[in-house]
Amino acid sequence: MNLKYGKEDEAFREEVRAFLRDKLPHDVARRTKTGMHPPNEDDRRWWNRVLFEKGWSAPLWPKEYGGPGWTHLQAHIFEYECRMAGAPELRWQGLRLIGPVLYTFGTPEQKARYLPAILKGDEMWAQGFSEPGAGSDLASLKTSAVLDGDHYVINGQKLWTTEGHYSEQGFFLVRTDNTGKSQRGISMIVFPMDTPGVTVRQIPMINGEGSTCEVFLDNVRVPRENLIGAVNAGWDQAKFLLSNERTSSAEIYKAFSDLARIRHIAEHELKNGRPIIQDPVFARKLAELEIDVNALEWSVLRVLCEAPSNYPIAANASVLKVRGSELQQRLTELAVEALGQRSLRMYRRDEAYAPPAVNPLWPDYTPGVATDLLYLRACTIFGGAKEVQKNIIAKLAFGL
Amino acid sequence: MDFNLSDEQRMLVDGAQRYIRERYSLDAKRAAAKTEEGFSREHWEKFAELGWLAMGIPEDCGGMGGSPVDIALLMEQLGAGLVAEPVLDTAILAGTLLAQASGSQRAIDLLGDIAAGEKIVVLAHMERAGRSEYDTPVSARAKRSGEGWQLSGIKHRVWHGASADCLLITVRLGETNEIGVLAVDRNAPGVDLTVYEMLDGTHAADIRFDAVELDSSALILRGPAVDDALAVAFDHTVLAMTSSAIGSMDAVMAMTGEYLKTRVQYGQPLAKFQALQHRMSEMFVETDQARSIVYRALAALESGDAQERATAVSSAKSLVARACRFVTGHGIQLHGAIGTTEEYAVGHHYRAMLMYDYRFGDATYHLERSAGLLPRIA
Ligand SMILES: Cc1cc2nc3c(=O)[nH]c(=O)nc-3n(C[C@H](O)[C@H](O)[C@H](O)COP(=O)(O)OP(=O)(O)OC[C@H]3O[C@@H](n4cnc5c(N)ncnc54)[C@H](O)[C@@H]3O)c2cc1C
Repeated sequence: MNLKYGKEDEAFREEVRAFLRDKLPHDVARRTKTGMHPPNEDDRRWWNRVLFEKGWSAPLWPKEYGGPGWTHLQAHIFEYECRMAGAPELRWQGLRLIGPVLYTFGTPEQKARYLPAILKGDEMWAQGFSEPGAGSDLASLKTSAVLDGDHYVINGQKLWTTEGHYSEQGFFLVRTDNTGKSQRGISMIVFPMDTPGVTVRQIPMINGEGSTCEVFLDNVRVPRENLIGAVNAGWDQAKFLLSNERTSSAEIYKAFSDLARIRHIAEHELKNGRPIIQDPVFARKLAELEIDVNALEWSVLRVLCEAPSNYPIAANASVLKVRGSELQQRLTELAVEALGQRSLRMYRRDEAYAPPAVNPLWPDYTPGVATDLLYLRACTIFGGAKEVQKNIIAKLAFGL
Repeated sequence: MDFNLSDEQRMLVDGAQRYIRERYSLDAKRAAAKTEEGFSREHWEKFAELGWLAMGIPEDCGGMGGSPVDIALLMEQLGAGLVAEPVLDTAILAGTLLAQASGSQRAIDLLGDIAAGEKIVVLAHMERAGRSEYDTPVSARAKRSGEGWQLSGIKHRVWHGASADCLLITVRLGETNEIGVLAVDRNAPGVDLTVYEMLDGTHAADIRFDAVELDSSALILRGPAVDDALAVAFDHTVLAMTSSAIGSMDAVMAMTGEYLKTRVQYGQPLAKFQALQHRMSEMFVETDQARSIVYRALAALESGDAQERATAVSSAKSLVARACRFVTGHGIQLHGAIGTTEEYAVGHHYRAMLMYDYRFGDATYHLERSAGLLPRIA
């Protein structure tokens, strides 16, 4: 075993840092660090473009499709440095979810049509999987796609479609066969969100923002060539797509930036006249979280570097999701605790993004701390709820 | 011992439940939260008619002189209904504080006005350097001005500050530096408010007092009595708030249990999954223990012993804050995505839990206080 980053990795880290110092403006970093959900869309699109011009917008894509040709470890270093510097998190639906599906299963025409716009950040994507009756039990989805000449006619409703209201494109799971086992009659299809018959409505969430949407599909006509891969093979593609998610569900980069945020708040907030970071009870809680985050990072590294395991790798990946999501919640809880009563103020995004007025009553680290906590109640639910992940671990690791 | 409700208590509880069921839907609350005050004056007037605002106010001041148990029973129902009106801040907190200023005619008048629902009175106490009401160092000042006082300073996070008719302000007095409480008309010249919204839809304000001139009757309490009066008022308020947290937990359990029976995934109701059954059972255990520690604190309150009161109230707050976080958090989790929407009550209970946790000292503060680890600051 060699448990160290190589010299070239360290040089790479320096290169990324220099790039970030040079290209990432303070105000963009500041808005990103507030932790509003969804993040500032303009900042994200702009940053996607900046990274594209450098050839860095899709760290894990193969070179032939526009990736930078990095190792997994380099991509890890890159994501870490970006997040710590406060770079906007790029929209994962296009870059991490549908992109790899397209270059793996798509036709040459589909690749040519969609991949460049994802890389550049010109087109954002929404993920239309869940439905009112199909959440954890995704295979029970009902939205139907029926062939009519050269078009599929799609009817149904999607739910919880993150950022559907400002996405140009959507990828959907639809039912193309009602006869056999429910998993076998599902296909994946893509179409623009402004196709006639598509209605998108934002859902106000617990954090006071509409980050998810309901999407009504009413006789939406989509050309047949928009189907991805084979008919009725959508379930396998969806599984492929989710297995690409493996390490990102750990949200390890956010965990590190959260630790930095907590430390910053705790150095400035006073308890009995002293910074709360010096309070032994608080310091212990922070240390405990730091230890857990470090352990999680090494779990991520083990999966990234394909470390041998006595258990199927997917079981280890589910560990990342379970522990990662729990940690996100504990981290935001401690951030709120550090800030104390001041965190109870509800910041709307225009207030949170406004340049900091100098007001000692409301320091610049205040906006978004509680918003982040509220939004992240969802992180143990989305992308495969925690209880279902635990079922998966029991099954994969122990055959239960 | 007898844990049964008296006939009057039964009527109080039934009445509050009926009111919330029939007139206080979540939709109505959400609509009220969007108004300028963040709550509804219509409800406020009704609460006065029902006698709820008079509950904690002594009979000789126009109130009903209800016991802490009566107040706890009422607050439990208001917590279950996510009531947004300033019952806690005005009828309990300001009411308890004013009731200890019995030498002041101004205080007696204000108590009558609160009981009748004619005035909203709130405490303006927090300042920049304080983490909680219990330990905020007071630096706002009132210096002598003729027969009266001239007040200057900044108060932070005054709940319902803009809706209040009268503010009770903690200050340092003149040269002596002793602590005092002043009753100030919110519209007095020199009072300047910045209003903002809190997580539960309540509105709060930072208030600047710039050489506000007051006559001598404004000073309703002074000297060492203030520390004791504040401690009593905070402890009663914490216990009332804790009771409303119990109501919240009960409501969350009920709605979550119902939801699990109706939501079908994998061809069966979620209620069939043992993992979720156990989660519901854990929520039940937490809520049951939370209720018990509140009873213990109510008993301590009646003992009249200040140390016993402080210890028991703080024990209750630290235990219930933890339990309520568990129950409301898992309430969301068991609902799945729907639980994270604004439209669904469970998320509102979660936000109410955060308010509960961080007002009047957080769980760590109360753990340390219950263990007798804290120096007294005021
Ligand atoms: C903020 C947010 C963003 C989202 N974004 C998207 C998106 O962009 N695209 C998309 O398609 N979907 C999205 N989703 C939907 C998400 O994938 C679903 O919420 C998730 O799959 C859970 O489904 P559900 O909400 O219907 O909960 P349910 O499946 O109804 O589950 C409710 C509860 O029951 C538990 N449960 C369910 N089954 C079992 C079982 N077998 N054993 C034990 N416990 C069980 C769950 O863990 C959960 O606690 C998003 C959700 C949220 C909250």
